Amino acid sequence: MSTNKPNSNMRIDYSLIFILLLLGIVSCFAIYTVQFQPSVPSTYDASGLVIKQIMWYIAGSMLVVLIMLMDYDRFRQISWILYGFGIVTLLMIFFNFPAPIIHEANNARSWFIIPGTSTTIQPAEFMKIFLTVILAHIIVSHNEKFKTRTNQTDLWLLAKLLGLSFPPMGLIAVQPDLGGFLVLAAIVACMILVSGIRWRILFAITATVTIIAGVIVFFYINYPDATRDVLYNVGFKHVESRFLGWLYPETYGDSGYQLTRAIMAIGSGQLTGKGYADIQVYIPERHTDMIFSVIAEQYGFFGASFVVTLFFLLIYRLIHIGLQSNDPFGSFMIAGFIGMFTFQTFQNIGMSIQLLPITGLPLPFISYGGSSTLTYLIAIGIVLNIHYRTKEYMFD
Amino acid sequence: MGNKKKKKTQLPFRLNILFILVFALFSLLILQLGVVQILNGEEAQEKIDRTTDTTSKNSVPRGKMYDRFGRVILDNEPVRSIIYTPPKGGDSAEKRLDIAEKLATYITLGEDSEDRQNMIRERDKKEYWYLLNTEEVQGRLSAQELEELSTAEQYQAMLDKITAEDLAQIEWTDELYNELAIKKELDKAYELSPHIIKNENVTEEEYAKVSEHLSELPGIDATINWDRDFVNGNTFANFIGKVTTSDQGVPADQAPYYNSLGYSRNDRVGTSGLEEQYESVLRGRKEQVRFTTDQQGNVVGSEVVVEGQRGNDLELTIDMELQQAVDQIVQEELKTTIEKHPEQNKYMKDALVAMMNPQTGEVLALSGISYDQETEEFSDQSFRVVYDAHRPGSTVKGASVLAGLDSDVISEGERMDDECIRIASSAPKCSWQYLGVVDDIDALKRSSNVYMFHIAMRLGEATYRPNERLVGYNSDKFQTFRNYYSQFGLGVETGVDLPFESTGYKGSIDINAAGKQMDFSIGQFDTYTTLQLAQYVSTIANDGYRVRPRLVNKVREPSLSNDQLGPVVEAYNTDVLNRITMEQDYIERVQEGFRRVMQESRGTAASYFNDAPYNPAGKTGTAENGIYEDGELIEETVNLSLVGYAPFDNPEVVFAVIVPNLGEIESGRHPVNHMIGRRILDKYFELKEERASAGVDDDLPEEETAEELELDMQTEQEQQQAEEQQMDILD
Repeated sequence: MSTNKPNSNMRIDYSLIFILLLLGIVSCFAIYTVQFQPSVPSTYDASGLVIKQIMWYIAGSMLVVLIMLMDYDRFRQISWILYGFGIVTLLMIFFNFPAPIIHEANNARSWFIIPGTSTTIQPAEFMKIFLTVILAHIIVSHNEKFKTRTNQTDLWLLAKLLGLSFPPMGLIAVQPDLGGFLVLAAIVACMILVSGIRWRILFAITATVTIIAGVIVFFYINYPDATRDVLYNVGFKHVESRFLGWLYPETYGDSGYQLTRAIMAIGSGQLTGKGYADIQVYIPERHTDMIFSVIAEQYGFFGASFVVTLFFLLIYRLIHIGLQSNDPFGSFMIAGFIGMFTFQTFQNIGMSIQLLPITGLPLPFISYGGSSTLTYLIAIGIVLNIHYRTKEYMFD
Repeated sequence: MGNKKKKKTQLPFRLNILFILVFALFSLLILQLGVVQILNGEEAQEKIDRTTDTTSKNSVPRGKMYDRFGRVILDNEPVRSIIYTPPKGGDSAEKRLDIAEKLATYITLGEDSEDRQNMIRERDKKEYWYLLNTEEVQGRLSAQELEELSTAEQYQAMLDKITAEDLAQIEWTDELYNELAIKKELDKAYELSPHIIKNENVTEEEYAKVSEHLSELPGIDATINWDRDFVNGNTFANFIGKVTTSDQGVPADQAPYYNSLGYSRNDRVGTSGLEEQYESVLRGRKEQVRFTTDQQGNVVGSEVVVEGQRGNDLELTIDMELQQAVDQIVQEELKTTIEKHPEQNKYMKDALVAMMNPQTGEVLALSGISYDQETEEFSDQSFRVVYDAHRPGSTVKGASVLAGLDSDVISEGERMDDECIRIASSAPKCSWQYLGVVDDIDALKRSSNVYMFHIAMRLGEATYRPNERLVGYNSDKFQTFRNYYSQFGLGVETGVDLPFESTGYKGSIDINAAGKQMDFSIGQFDTYTTLQLAQYVSTIANDGYRVRPRLVNKVREPSLSNDQLGPVVEAYNTDVLNRITMEQDYIERVQEGFRRVMQESRGTAASYFNDAPYNPAGKTGTAENGIYEDGELIEETVNLSLVGYAPFDNPEVVFAVIVPNLGEIESGRHPVNHMIGRRILDKYFELKEERASAGVDDDLPEEETAEELELDMQTEQEQQQAEEQQMDILD
């Protein structure tokens, strides 16, 4: 006989927290050791960044505790408010209003800035959570309403999901933030997968996307000039250079520079790595997008695999909790977070080992960054909350 | 429950599929990591370890110059300088700004704050603002600009978008201007090639401060550079010549030539005078250092491939003491002349002198003093001795007589009446006064024009009958006459070892060639430089051997000690260019004529020279000249000249004096040519006598050498350090 009252002692997922603790330690260590790379800019303040990162972790942990305090089911009630809030912030960025608190960097307008400080906030990060919550809410409501699945109901659900996803994805894509756009796409894809939409429709979507992509590639290869003319009009030049830099890093030195440096750094780590503080390769922006190479160069294949395994365990824990949860709303949210973590981890590590083209995405929990770390910790907070409130039915 | 159950089984199934996907993706990551790190890891390490060699060349001091007695006349002056050598691949703009910021606390560029402000242009300010606000400026580019413009164009576009208001955000202090001026210098440097940031007026304090903080200033070094030090000030400086500064580098129009000789673009090269002529000797051998850099641009090793060696020294033929004395005499005489008749001599500017040894061609002194009528100041413009050509007047009559004798148009001792030449429908051509019947020797002694006119007409195959037209003149013979002159160096290059010399102006003979040939015979037509005249008289003094005048006696290796000359690398010997075609007898007749000019009564220069103890010989000259303005004659002037040598039996010194454009004065004119000639010969023999009894006065000017300077600085630094240590103890 079980009780509806959650048993707080038993329900906190310590293994997930332990994994996070390890990731946090790896993060601080990596950020600290970036200073040992050659010709590091004199402005790089290793200890300062580590302290900041620790503060982000502490702030994030407090958020986790706050989230744990209330029933995650509440999120369902405020899902529209959160979503609306997210859209409004993105619109503010889009219209550059009010200008004094909008920050622009590297040709992208993606941040709010707290006036008088250098602290920036990236609303696209939080949008990942908000979108996950609203999509989970929509799926649950839909599935409750239409008990019997037909092509019609499935397509209706699909339309609702995509209809809600496109506005934030579009607003992020035009910033431009290709990475953020792709993360949202991964979240949506995962949630569609688990939403219950029948396989035939999923296959049909997959097939359509594959064919469209195939056609574009076909035309690009066979009629490069004409295809380029069309594609450049939709901002494809940027994407093309990423792909070329990925496929031919030596030839396209401009866009392939970061990749060749990263391959040199990670590769030279070899099996066991060069050891603490022994970093020979300079890579720009190493403490953010290229943080993985810091570990891989110092601790080689072993160290790199350890980090990859940590992420795998993290996602495994997420899936485990999602499977355990008997509340579909929780499971759907977890599916969205799995999409988010999996894609970001795979994309970030993959791009530094030439598995994928370079895209500006941080490595969750490891890369230096306030907004992203907070976002991921909020996601973890929700997951812990789900686990905390999962009711165990002895005879179910 | 059925629906619920269905959902319940479906969700875990789908989550499991998700798990499989995640597993597959992470397996892919581990697999690729294995490929990158284990399979290709060694290759990546090799790529890192791969090194590149780059050779950098460090300049060495140029050779010094000594006068004929080994007295330093051109030295190197050590100059403290702050240099910057960028690493392989160069420093980033941010890094350079960082270095400039630090360096600005130790050194100051420019003379005052206004000077520094002038160094910084609007673009420099914008580049600075760009560095501070890179992200913001980049954001100002439109998507279109980002796509269409090249990186360089984008940079320019971004700079264009920086407004005056943007720049006004920054407080442009003097310190900031200084920092930007330093950054500008840093920007100019090329990888692994030393660039001078400051080498003028680097104070000891600045030098010491930079030396102390070298560790925090990557690429910066405090070293000793060299400046040319003209020991005797302006004296002979025209001929010593100029060297470019390292900022100017090799002359842009001759860059390919210098590159082929291994110069780098900021090398200093001689661009005039002996510095240019003997560039290959003076430049020395640059020190070559091979730097080994890894992929990161770190220098992992350096090795001196070629030891540097200071440039070789030149030992000149000039007698610096004599040179100074001659300059002094020329200036005094010029001054006297002008002061005596300031109005008549208002077009008179220069007095030029060349002195050389007729047997060896060694040039002893070259002097050109110029007077500026407006500022009323004298200046050393000795280059005019080889640059400016003037009509010499009768000084060239020796060549005319020899031409006449050699071509058999006159015979030895042939006497002629000095009656004016009267050709129908032409003005009569006379001597300066009627001299009666004269032979060839006396024609020189008393400077008969008419005698020369007869030679000229006969050489031109013309038959002269008084008051009739000249018949039979063959204008081709003008060239024959000029060829005779060329044998003496008149109208051709003397061959002096300077990068440029004028050969004078050859007048056109299209109209009235016969008359012009007569003018030519008395030095009233073609123009010659002072040095050409000196070579001409030296050829006569030297029994017909024309020697090449030269300014350099020997090339010496740098000496190790300061009071000793280095070993001789090359010695230049007497270079006989040609022997004139005239028989020795003829030459001796001309020599005798020249002796009488100076020593016998009624010789044109006898009154100034007959009491000279050194047995002089020579020839005077007065040429009619004119000052033209816009092609119109505005003033008749005369050039006074004098050539001579001594002693008559064994000539060891010849000289030529030209003083152009004196006013036409009936009587009482200051005999400037004679006075200069007499005084410089007197000085020459006076110095010779002094040296015979007391030796050469080689009072070398004291100069602090570089080693001493460096030692001084070292001890200073040591002292400072010791003091600091003491302070530490006290603390």
